[in-house]
Formats: sequence, C-alpha cells, structure tokens
Amino acid sequence: MSLAWLVRRLMLMVYTVIVVSMLVFAITQILPADAAQSLLGENATPEMLAALRAKLGLDAPAWQQYLHWAGRIFSGDFGISMRTSQPVGPDMLTALSRSLLLTVSSILVTLLVAVPLGVVAALRQGKLTDTGVSLIAYLGVSLPEFVTATLLALLLADTLHWLPATGYVSLLEDFGDGIRHLALPVLTISVILIAHVVRMMRSETLDVLKSDYIRAARLKGLPERTVLFRHALRNALLPVVTIIALDVGYLLGGIIVIEEIFAIPGIGRALMVAITTRDLPSIQAGALIMAATYAVTNTLADMAYAFLDPRIRYD
Amino acid sequence: MIPALAIKNYTLDYATAAGPVRVLHDISLEIAPGEVLGLVGESGSGKSSLAWALMRHLPENAREISGTLRLGDTDLLRLHPRELTKIRGRRLGMVFQDPSTALNPTLPIGRQVTETLIQHRGLSKREADALAIDLLGHVELRDPAAIMRRYPHEISGGEKQRVIIATAFGCRPDVILFDEPTTALDVITGARILELFARLREETGVAALYISHDLALVTRVADRVVVLKHGRLVEEAPAADIFRAPRHADTKALVQAVPRPERRLIHDKPGDEVLLAASDIEVHYGRASIFRQAPPPATRRIGLDVRAGEILGLVGESGSGKSSVARALTGLARFSGKVRFDNHEITAARDMNAAYRRDVQIIFQHPDASLNPRHKVGEILSRPLKLYGGSAAEIPRLLEQVRLPAPYAGRWPHQLSGGEKQRVAIARAFAARPKLVICDEITAPLDVSVQAQIIELLLALRAATGTAFLFITHDLNLIRQIAHRIAVMRGGEMVDLLPIEDFDADHVHPYTRELMAASPVPVG
Repeated sequence: MSLAWLVRRLMLMVYTVIVVSMLVFAITQILPADAAQSLLGENATPEMLAALRAKLGLDAPAWQQYLHWAGRIFSGDFGISMRTSQPVGPDMLTALSRSLLLTVSSILVTLLVAVPLGVVAALRQGKLTDTGVSLIAYLGVSLPEFVTATLLALLLADTLHWLPATGYVSLLEDFGDGIRHLALPVLTISVILIAHVVRMMRSETLDVLKSDYIRAARLKGLPERTVLFRHALRNALLPVVTIIALDVGYLLGGIIVIEEIFAIPGIGRALMVAITTRDLPSIQAGALIMAATYAVTNTLADMAYAFLDPRIRYD
Repeated sequence: MIPALAIKNYTLDYATAAGPVRVLHDISLEIAPGEVLGLVGESGSGKSSLAWALMRHLPENAREISGTLRLGDTDLLRLHPRELTKIRGRRLGMVFQDPSTALNPTLPIGRQVTETLIQHRGLSKREADALAIDLLGHVELRDPAAIMRRYPHEISGGEKQRVIIATAFGCRPDVILFDEPTTALDVITGARILELFARLREETGVAALYISHDLALVTRVADRVVVLKHGRLVEEAPAADIFRAPRHADTKALVQAVPRPERRLIHDKPGDEVLLAASDIEVHYGRASIFRQAPPPATRRIGLDVRAGEILGLVGESGSGKSSVARALTGLARFSGKVRFDNHEITAARDMNAAYRRDVQIIFQHPDASLNPRHKVGEILSRPLKLYGGSAAEIPRLLEQVRLPAPYAGRWPHQLSGGEKQRVAIARAFAARPKLVICDEITAPLDVSVQAQIIELLLALRAATGTAFLFITHDLNLIRQIAHRIAVMRGGEMVDLLPIEDFDADHVHPYTRELMAASPVPVG
C-alpha cells in the first residue's frame, strides 16, 4: 500500500462525505417543515416567525446557511434536538456505537462461519454437504429479516427461554447480560450475511481452484492442504471483502428493522424517531453520520483489499 | 540403460455425452537420460493430454484404456495420490505455456520458488532463500534478491518464465515437461528463453519432453522429434532430418506449412497510387482525471502509407503499438494526427464517413470474440451486406469465396473450427467490397497448417479483388513471404519501413536485425 494511494483514497473519502453533507442539507431544506413554524406552533404571528428566522439564520442565502451549518458540524456541534432540547451529537454517537457493536459482531460471526463453510462446500462440490450448505444459504437469502428475526425469537426466547427477546444492555455495565441481549439480533443479521458470503466464497473457491496457478502449485508437488491454504484461500477471499463492504451499507440502512424488532436504541431507531417527529437537526446528524460511516467502511474495505491483493497497491 | 521416461502402448479416451472419444492411440516412446525429445502436433492432436497423463493430472472424464507410463523405474499409473507429491516437482518437473497465469498473483516470487525447495529437498527457510537467490541468478535474472520480494505483476512475462524454469530445475528432477514455454512470449523474449533452456540442459543433463506446435522451433531445441496427429504418432526422426526428409504425408504437410522467408508467395508489384496515408498518428487511451494524468500515447507520431493493392506488413512485439495503429485507422481508438484516404482527410474518428468505413475493413485476432455467438453465420454476413447495399442472396457467393460450403450459413459460430471461424470473419470483411483490409494478428491463434490455408485464401482474394492489406503480425518469417514492404514497431515508435528487397540489407535498424535473428528458421 503506497502512501500516495492511501492519501488519494482518503481524499476521495472526505470528498464523498462533503458531497453527502451537501445533499443532506439540500434535502432537509426542501422538506415542507419550516423550523421556525414548528418551533413556535400554529399561533405564531408573522413578526414572531420573521424574528426567529433571523435569529436562527434561516433568512440568509442557502449557501451561507450550508457553510454555517457545515462549519458547526466540523467543530463537533450537531445542533440542539427540537424534540428533547438536548445536543444532538452525543445522543447520535451513542446510538451509533450501539449499532456499530451490532454490525461488527455480526460481521465477525459471519466471517467465522461463512468462510470455512463456503470452502467446504466448494471442496465437496455436488456432494451432500454442498447441497446442504447451499440450501441453508438460499433460505437465509430468501427470508426477509423480520421473518428470520421472529422465527429465531420464537425459538430461542419464547420456547427455549435461552435468550432475552428484546432490549439492550451495555457491555460496560454488565458484560454477560450485554452479550445475551446482543445474541439474538447478531444471530438474525448473521444468518442473512452468512447466506451472501457462503455463496460468494463457494463460487470464488471453485473458480480459483480451476485457475492455472493452482494447477501449477499442484504440479509442483505441493500437498493439497498447502495448495488450499497458501495458494487458494487468499485469492478466493478477495471478492468476499467487497461483498462484506456492500453488506455494511445494507446493514446501516436495514438495521432499522432489526433495531425495531429487538428494541435496540441504535442509530437506525434514532433516525426513525427523528424523521417521525420532524426533528431537523437530528435527521441531518443521523443521515450524515450514517453516510460518513459508510464512506469510512468502504475505505477500510479498500485497504483490506489492497492488503490482500498486491496488485492494488501501486494503482 | 533404463530410459528416463518410457511410454508404452498408451491409449486414452475421454468419456463424453456422445460416447468415448479416443485422444491417444497406442502411443509408445522413450526418452533416454539427458535426451530432449520434441513432441510436435497441432491443437487437438492430443499432445497436451499426453502431458497431463504424465503429470497424473487428467480431467475426470479421462479413461486410461491400456499401456504403461514409467518414470525411470517408477510406474506412474500405479502411484497412490499421496505418493504423487513425491514425484511431481521433485522427479518430474513442468514448465507451463503461459507464465502470466502460472504464478500465484498474491504471493511473492520468492515464496513460490522456495516452497518446493522446502517441500522436496527438506531445506530450512533460510537455506531455501539462499538457494532460490542462486537459482534465480542462474537463470540470468538481474538482482535476484529483489525479485524474490516482488509479486508476479511486477515482473515481465519473460522474467516470469525464467522464475518458473528456475523453480522446475531447483529440485533437480529427472525429466522436465516443457509445454509450449515460449508461445505466450514475444519472439525475442522467446528466443532468449530457448538459449537459457539450451544452457541449463547442457549443465544439468536433464531429460526433457518439449511440446510445441512449432516444428521449426522444436528442431532447434530437440535431439529427436516425434509428430503427433489425431492422437497417433506418425513420425519419429532425429531433429536434423525431419525438415530435410519428412517421411509421413502429415509431416510433409507440416513442413510445407512452416513459413520460410526465402519462399515468396507473391511476385507482383503494387501500383503507385497511394490509397491511405497516415501521418503523425498518436493513439490515446484513457483521459486525465482529477487524480491522475493521462497515460502517454500508445504510439508516437507514426506515419505510414498503403498503396492500392499493396500488402504492407506491420511487425513488432506485444505492446509495440501495432494493434493501436489498427484501432486508430478503423476509428476504434482516439487518435491525433492525420489520415488521408481517397482524397478525404480524416483527423478524428467522427470524420470517418460511411464510405470510409466500407472501404476500410478490419479482421481481428480472435474470431471467437469478434463473431456474435448468438448469430448464425448467415446473419453475421447479412449485416455488412444490408449496411452497404448488398443483398442476402450474395451470402452463398461470399461463403464460396472463402471456401466454405453454402449450408454453413445456417450454422452457429461455436459449431465451426478456429480456421473456419476466421474464414467467416474474412467473408464478413469482404462483404463490404473494401479497398483496404486490416488484418490484426489473424493467424496467431491458428496452427501452422491452418495458417498456411488462410494466407493462401487471402492472397487469392487479393488477386481477385485487388484489395490492399495492412497485415499486422509478430511472425517475421510469415510476413517476409507475403509483404511488399514491412514496417517495424517497437515501444510505440516505428523503427523501420523497408521494401522487402532491402530487408537483408546492411542499413536495417539493429532492432529489426535482432527480430530476424530471433525468428526460428527451420534447421535442415
């Protein structure tokens, strides 16, 4: 990974976040809700509205408002929530940390399960193991997350009473209980992700095993284990990194459903609440934080890709 | 003395949906210790199947009907899969056709050399590293220690093949199989690999089976040559004799098909009228973006002219820019410079009007990629006819022109052989009644005998229509048989543009001389 590449990649990330911030600002400008109106209520006189608009800076040209807003955000001030009258930033970041915990643990579980499963399915191509793995993968892909979530909750919480059905407990307060509360949502997300990753891993492993350099490695007299782990695995993992990065995008958007079902106060839920109450600063902060997280994840994925594939480094 | 490698009465079938297909009929041959046996055959002759059988790497549908394969005193057919790792790489090495795909792209070179030394010779990592640096130095790689740390994409194709050869020789095997080791390389690089092979062979006394479709090349490296045709051994002779006195009819045909520069196939002179004149052509790929500069042009101010009815040869190694010239002249690539054709001036692809596009046709290297697999031959040919005012009734005539039977109009491209597909591509180009046909390496994927037929066909078409050709190739021997003038390109620049009579003269560019020296001319 050359430094120039890294710098260029980071610049691209910053650029993405800036463009997204413009979009977020523009969209919230178009929204029918007028901040002054919603703050003062229906009985406000035009004079009161004008005064408040001037105070909030709403009468300035849009680009000035944007720069003002962006400047504040750059210094970490996301504004005051209209709903709770509390600063938006800390609340959103706390919510984000919960969602990230959920996402990262789900991805770890997925990688631990799906990569070996995919490889095994490829090695046993056409045999019973392969069919079984593929079948489970298809199930995972085809069931919507709320169905998977409900089924798992019915089984593990309501019937077997192994896990709590809903709620969130911070790992810092009570690690054991925190993990128990995390288990069901992580399991639900993992089932879906594992389905993606297993199928990808299986087909990539099959492709790589057919390649000339694998044949060359075999004909050099290397044992099959070495061929598989040293020569095939790394190359088969490359596209999986891309899939995972895309899945993170899916998770950040789709996590709302999971958070609703399992009552986890994460970023998805916070954004839902903000939208239903037309809490403008919270909507802006939530959308921007999600986009920034996505941009950072993609950059991390690119770096992981560059680490795995030496051909990327000097690009 | 026990032969290093002995194949006796070996017969191999492939099971297919339509029943078993015999690929090798009762093959018997022996290689003495230290001997190099050349195995020559066209594609489909079964030469690769024989190599895979020896490496015990046959596809699952292979059925070994009879015979024995022995490496020294080891019966290869009776080996347990686990014992194979002690034979492959250690006693029986292999050098592959395409070095660019035979190395793992995500492992450093050093690792890929040392892993066999550690596996087969039981060396420690440090000993293996030291030996690998020695081995890489011995195959004339500069700065072997640095190469060890590089990845395959960071070294050239010729260097990769040297790495693979170093690996194959590293465990001092009894026999090494060479499967067309220079086919994927350009002529000069290939010639240096052959020199390396000759030297290593002399030093190590290794026995080798050298597989190739190129008879001229094999006679230069082998002691003895066997010719394989449709799965049968049809001839076996000392390398020096095979060109002088081929016995079997198939061998004679192979010998006939090998291009020899001294055997000219055209004897006329082109007219003086200049058909196409290109000057200062620079071909550009990619544009500048915020993050990077535009790449340098693929060619540097190339100028050439083609006269009516002339065959102008354009030769150079891969990457020399010769295909870029073809792409510019057909409007497929962005270029700067000027093209004058039939008193019509062209400075960009958008200036190429319908008349120009009809008059200048191109035939590509790979007919598989240039013929739409979802269109039947008739439909492929009807497109240019419709576009340029012909009628579908001409299709049988077009097919006849390229010596294909008229019913071929109803066939799909995948039902045709490589040579037949290229004939369809030729027919498509001639459907427009062009004045200039650009042939971009059109015989490169074909066997020599098919190549000879295609060349003969092109010359017949030229005689009938008076069409001029810009014939792009890396095969100097071939182009010296047919071109009136030859342009030589290297690194995007044109280093020579000579009439054929002057090609042997003293004032040719040193690079042209180097190319000629590297082009294998048959021994004998």
